Amino acid sequence: MLTLQTWTVQALFIFLSTESLGELLDPCGYINPESPVVQLGSNFTAVCVLKEKCMDYFHVNANYIFWKTNHATVPHEQYTVINRTASSVTFTDISLLNIQLTCNIRTFGQIDQNVYGIRIISGLPPEKPKNLSCIVKEGEKMTCQWDPGRETYLETNFTLKSEWATEKFDDCKTKRDNPTSCTVDYSPVYFVNIEVWVEAENALGKVASDHINFDPVDKVKPFPPHNLSVSNSEELSSILKLTWINSSIKSFMKLKYDIQYRTKDASTWSQIPPEDTASTRSSFTVQDLKPFTEYVFRIRCMKEDGKGFWSDWSAEESGITYEDRPSKAPSFWYKMEPSHTHGCRPVQLIWKTLPPFEANGKILDYEVTLKRWKSHLQNYTVNDTKLTVNLTNDHYIATLTARNLVGKSDASVLPIPAYDFQGNLAESKCYLITVTPVYDNGPGSPQSIKAYLKQAPPSKGPTVRTKKVGKNEAVLEWDQLPVDVQNGFIRNYTIFYKTNIGNETAVNVDSSHTEYTLSSLTSDTLYMVRMAAYTDEGGMDGPEFTFTTPKFAQGEIEAIVVPVCLAFLLTTLLGVLFCFNKRDLIKKHIWPNVPDPSKSHIAQWSPHTPPRHNFNSKDQMYSDGNFTDVSVVEIEANDKKPFPEDLKSLDLFKKEKISTEGHSSGIGGSSCMSSSRPSISSSDENESAQNTSSTVQYSTVVHSGYRHQVPSVQVFSRSESTQPLLDSEERPEELQLVDNVDGSDVILPRQQYFKQNCSQHETSPDVSQFERSKQVSSVNDEDFVRLKQQQISDHISQSYGSGQMKMFQEVSAADAFGPGTEGQVERFETVGMEAVIDEGMPKSYLPQTVRRGGYMPQ
Amino acid sequence: MDFRAGDSWGMLACLCTVLWHLPAVPALNRTGDPGPGPSIQKTYDLTRYLEHQLRSLAGTYLNYLGPPFNEPDFNPPRLGAETLPRATVNLEVWRSLNDKLRLTQNYEAYSHLLCHLRGLNRQAAAAELRRSLAHFCTSVQGLLGSIAGVMAALGYPLPQPLPGTEPTWAPGPAHSDFLQKMDDFWLLKELQTWLWRSAKDFNRLKKKIQPPAAAVTLHLEAHGF
Repeated sequence: MLTLQTWTVQALFIFLSTESLGELLDPCGYINPESPVVQLGSNFTAVCVLKEKCMDYFHVNANYIFWKTNHATVPHEQYTVINRTASSVTFTDISLLNIQLTCNIRTFGQIDQNVYGIRIISGLPPEKPKNLSCIVKEGEKMTCQWDPGRETYLETNFTLKSEWATEKFDDCKTKRDNPTSCTVDYSPVYFVNIEVWVEAENALGKVASDHINFDPVDKVKPFPPHNLSVSNSEELSSILKLTWINSSIKSFMKLKYDIQYRTKDASTWSQIPPEDTASTRSSFTVQDLKPFTEYVFRIRCMKEDGKGFWSDWSAEESGITYEDRPSKAPSFWYKMEPSHTHGCRPVQLIWKTLPPFEANGKILDYEVTLKRWKSHLQNYTVNDTKLTVNLTNDHYIATLTARNLVGKSDASVLPIPAYDFQGNLAESKCYLITVTPVYDNGPGSPQSIKAYLKQAPPSKGPTVRTKKVGKNEAVLEWDQLPVDVQNGFIRNYTIFYKTNIGNETAVNVDSSHTEYTLSSLTSDTLYMVRMAAYTDEGGMDGPEFTFTTPKFAQGEIEAIVVPVCLAFLLTTLLGVLFCFNKRDLIKKHIWPNVPDPSKSHIAQWSPHTPPRHNFNSKDQMYSDGNFTDVSVVEIEANDKKPFPEDLKSLDLFKKEKISTEGHSSGIGGSSCMSSSRPSISSSDENESAQNTSSTVQYSTVVHSGYRHQVPSVQVFSRSESTQPLLDSEERPEELQLVDNVDGSDVILPRQQYFKQNCSQHETSPDVSQFERSKQVSSVNDEDFVRLKQQQISDHISQSYGSGQMKMFQEVSAADAFGPGTEGQVERFETVGMEAVIDEGMPKSYLPQTVRRGGYMPQ
Repeated sequence: MDFRAGDSWGMLACLCTVLWHLPAVPALNRTGDPGPGPSIQKTYDLTRYLEHQLRSLAGTYLNYLGPPFNEPDFNPPRLGAETLPRATVNLEVWRSLNDKLRLTQNYEAYSHLLCHLRGLNRQAAAAELRRSLAHFCTSVQGLLGSIAGVMAALGYPLPQPLPGTEPTWAPGPAHSDFLQKMDDFWLLKELQTWLWRSAKDFNRLKKKIQPPAAAVTLHLEAHGF
């Protein structure tokens, strides 16, 4: 009754509401979001917003909203009333895949009214596809497949993308029923690398797999070889030749093969070794097969380098190997009829057909021969497997061979004893007694045993010898005794060995051995060894054998010698290295460099005139010519000329430049140095200053003498002695100078001479000229000065013949030039001054010297 | 003098270090940059593959053109088809070219041929033929990329098409049907000759680029210190 009433009320309500709302489909509110897709396990909030119109009508607000999921009311704790019209519901950790969520209002009178409903779909974003791999089946397009990862519960689209470095290809969209593989639309181009990846996308996300880059030819699955055929060879029954036709892919791709075979009845396949079929071919000969046997073959192929996929197996093909002669004859036996007439007995020979693996072909017939004693051969050719013959009572030997198309088998032999068989057995002879059981359907397997009527000791002992002799052991070996001398069953051997002085030692060895190792021997010792063989009845010694153990084991000498040599080599090497590095020290101690006085230039000089006197004599000599200092400089230039090594010493001189400056400055201040100023062409160039530099080097001595006002004679005393030369040999920087003996020798006097000159000219007009021009106000006109310098130096080089005197004249000319352009002259002076400070001597000096040519005072 | 001895030990230590590091010398390991060798090999293989493709494609297409083009002894004089790059080259001239020039010629030739091929594809009526032609076009495109790769690996610049000479396929003046077919015939023929020539070029280049063994010691010295 109540339900009926409720229903009526509801029906009425719906009627009313639809009527009042005008449209049936116009909802009373809505839910936001409309069609959500939510990640499983995440939180979700939906908001239901009521329409004013509806609220007015039903006299409700957001507080009246309640939610239902799949027709079950959601607990009120999950609701949040946002404002008068909106209420939200929050779900945490959504686990259902498909939720129907409705927003309802409870109207006045406890009537539930559905406002709006949505469907929440939940799932997972796609995982990164893994294990992307592609295959190119020959004649088809490329197919790639991948592992899509976890189930997303949502519709997920996979797109296979591919591109060259230069070009993009069309995307490959998966079919819905097979989302894990896709076959591209284009035929792949071999030998051009392609980059492929797959993208997975659903409502919750998009993710791309790793890119793979490959050459499609490395993913090829070729067609299998076709038209396989098998042929046998009449020459060889163990081979079959396979031929086939390769797929056309081989015209640009090398192939390798996999061939399998089995006999027709077998179920397992045998494999041709892969290395035998590792190159492109269209035939192969299978060997080591059994004759006259049917084999089944199949073949597949793939790219030679193993990249790509094996083709499917080809169709199976079979072939039969050619016949071979039977591998053995059938075993056979005889039956004797019990009743026989006098002197004659019927004997039936019986055998079985050979099994196929022994017949090796179709057996055409059998051949039986019967031999009585040593004569009389009887031949029978039989197609059947039995033969009945009449024999005498004598002993016969029957043989049987089987024959097929290729040939005859070996013969099997059957002795047919004489009718009344008995024999005389000898003692100490070995007999082989064979018993063959005969059943109804043929013979059983025969059993044999060796036997002696009576044994005796061997008639000879075994001969022992060494197989290998080591330092402490020896390997002995011997041969089995021949049956003739055994005279019985050899039960054991005994080895006796002793040294010259020691006791004899005996070792028992089992009769099955033919080798024994004696151990714990003493090295470098003579051993005597002999051996005895024993039967049940006694033993016999063999001949004695001697051997000597070596002093050293094999490789022992090498083991000692090689490390010793290596150690020696290393020591020598290190020694040499050490000596090399310490060579100066060693040289000093062992063979010090004693200068050869006869080669000393000073020694040459000394007899004539000591430098002091030399200088003096020069002074005197040139004093005759009325120009003293100038001529000295000239000689110095000459002396240097034959020593181009001066150039080498240049660097050293440059290093000494700083000290040179100091020394020269003292000299440069003097008017005698200013005399050489005109030949300075540029103060930057050091090359031509070498002569000067060497001069400067020795001017160290001069300088100190100069500063301390020590008479110049001291300087020469140094040159006179040979001792300073020895010192200088130990100091390379000085060595250069000493090498240049002539130059230095001359330099010293020259310096000294300059010194003297300086003192002489200290009051000369030059100085006053210099000082005078210094007072003139400075005008910088370098170009002009350079020009003048150039001119001057040119003059000098041209007029060298007249010597330094000319230079002085030039200088005086320059000085004379001074009054006209005072400032320039002043500058010129300054430049000249700098040059003197830097180099100590004019640049153009050496060239002048060289030009002087063959003139040598000595 | 002591410092001199120390110096020698330093030298010894240095020598040992060099020996110790020998296995790490890339020139000895040959595991480093493979150089242009593989890409040349690949280009060579690609020309062989294209030759293979062209064999079957030409047969189909000439059949599509019909007689007399599909007759085996059909050998017309080269009329028209002037825009096609000629592959025939005097042997002397060819030998005198350097690698860069040869590669450039190859690249330019296939650029031109590709355009003509695309025109061929547009004309072809049979669907199967269109597919084959499309695939062949893609392959030639791949060859172009491959040649470009080799040139880049050898450090040669890619030939820049001069503006205005950009080869574009145009339907051309109203050729007679026969002359049009003749052009197609010659296109295939030139392609064949070009591929043959390219295969030779790349084979030659491949042999030339084989890394010389002498380079090993040279690298070693450079690496030692």
